[in-house]
Amino acid sequence: MQIVLQPAFVLHRRPYRDTSLLLDAVTPEQGRLGLVARGVRSRRSRWQGLLQPFQPLLLSGAGKGELLTLTVAEEAGRPLPPPPARWLSGLYVNELLLRLLPRHDPHPGLFAAYQSVLEALTGPAAEEVALRIFEKRLLAELGYGLLLDAEADSGAPIVAERVYRYVLERGPCSVTRTAGGILISGKSLLALRQENLADAGVLREAKRLTRAALGVYLQGRPLRTRELLAALRRRTGNLTPRGEMS
Amino acid sequence: MSYSPLFNRLLEALRCLPGVGPKSAQRMALHLLERNREGARKLAETLQEALAAIGHCRRCRNLSETELCALCANPNRDHSLLCVVETPADVLAVEQSTGFRGLYFVLMGHLSPLDGIGPTEIGLDRLEARLHEGGIKEVILATNPTVEGGATAHYIAELAREYGIRPTRIAHGVPLGGELEYIDGGTLSHAFAGRREL
Repeated sequence: MQIVLQPAFVLHRRPYRDTSLLLDAVTPEQGRLGLVARGVRSRRSRWQGLLQPFQPLLLSGAGKGELLTLTVAEEAGRPLPPPPARWLSGLYVNELLLRLLPRHDPHPGLFAAYQSVLEALTGPAAEEVALRIFEKRLLAELGYGLLLDAEADSGAPIVAERVYRYVLERGPCSVTRTAGGILISGKSLLALRQENLADAGVLREAKRLTRAALGVYLQGRPLRTRELLAALRRRTGNLTPRGEMS
Repeated sequence: MSYSPLFNRLLEALRCLPGVGPKSAQRMALHLLERNREGARKLAETLQEALAAIGHCRRCRNLSETELCALCANPNRDHSLLCVVETPADVLAVEQSTGFRGLYFVLMGHLSPLDGIGPTEIGLDRLEARLHEGGIKEVILATNPTVEGGATAHYIAELAREYGIRPTRIAHGVPLGGELEYIDGGTLSHAFAGRREL
């Protein structure tokens, strides 16, 4: 297998041997890839500063097995690290991809969604809104898309003024005929569909929904970025800005 | 050719050192056993002693034989300055090449949630206790200029502010004697953002 100057972002890096790195990267055409970057931790390497998370890259690599050997790395634009206060949100997005996106499964739309969430996190956009939109797009790209415009059982269009019970892996159902599920207003379902989450109430409901939906596919294993946020928040009440992702 | 089991075990053990592969391990083992048995004995004894005696300083988490390391126990150092670094090697680097006369705190890493490294692992509770004790006026954050190092610095800075202590971050940018043309974009944009009046 081979990639040639493929746009990519490093999601995670781990030291490997004495001077090498093991990279997990996301690309539009090959999905998530494992790469070995040989010798990049040595003093003389030019790529050391480049192969970091949130840096738009062009990568070439080749290899036979699961892991490719990195042959070329070039920068493909200004780095997009979220500011320190939003760093955990950036890592949270990376962790979602690491956990949910299988290797070698191409999702060009997901790559675009990843790029736009990073741009939103580095810009003035509201952090929570950016994360919710990414979560919604991630679910859709992976084939677990939320049903947001029609009732699951009857197919009737969603009405903004009504309240529904969202049953995971099925969709919004009428409140009277179903038990369980997540109570959510039609307004919030439609707003999430249109990715217009400026309203605080809508945002809160959208978060409950995407979080529960992601939970199904995360199979109950907690996200480490969420745990770290909780740990930092426990330390002092206002050490981190309140609840971006949990 | 195959060696005796004990010799093989020695080779395996030597390979725990960085940069030592099978070939170098074999060279080292043969050297120790054939040419320098006295040196080998000394190495074995010192290693054992060091493992037993060297721990971490109670105050700064740096490697130390005593409960309080020499730097922390030194009354001539400026106890109002605290420099936070990631590794003991960083302490040595700062000590050898800067005129810094304050004290240190060694995190032994940086926050890295995806690898399971959180605030407890890098000793933030101990650092907080230290800030709480009082007497510190400035915390100098000398973590690595990586995304993780920057985030770690950010959280410690928040912590310092809560105790009314001034947090500062060491500058990063163009290396001395470097050429702008060959510097990566991230470093250069950092250098620009952190420019100073002349």
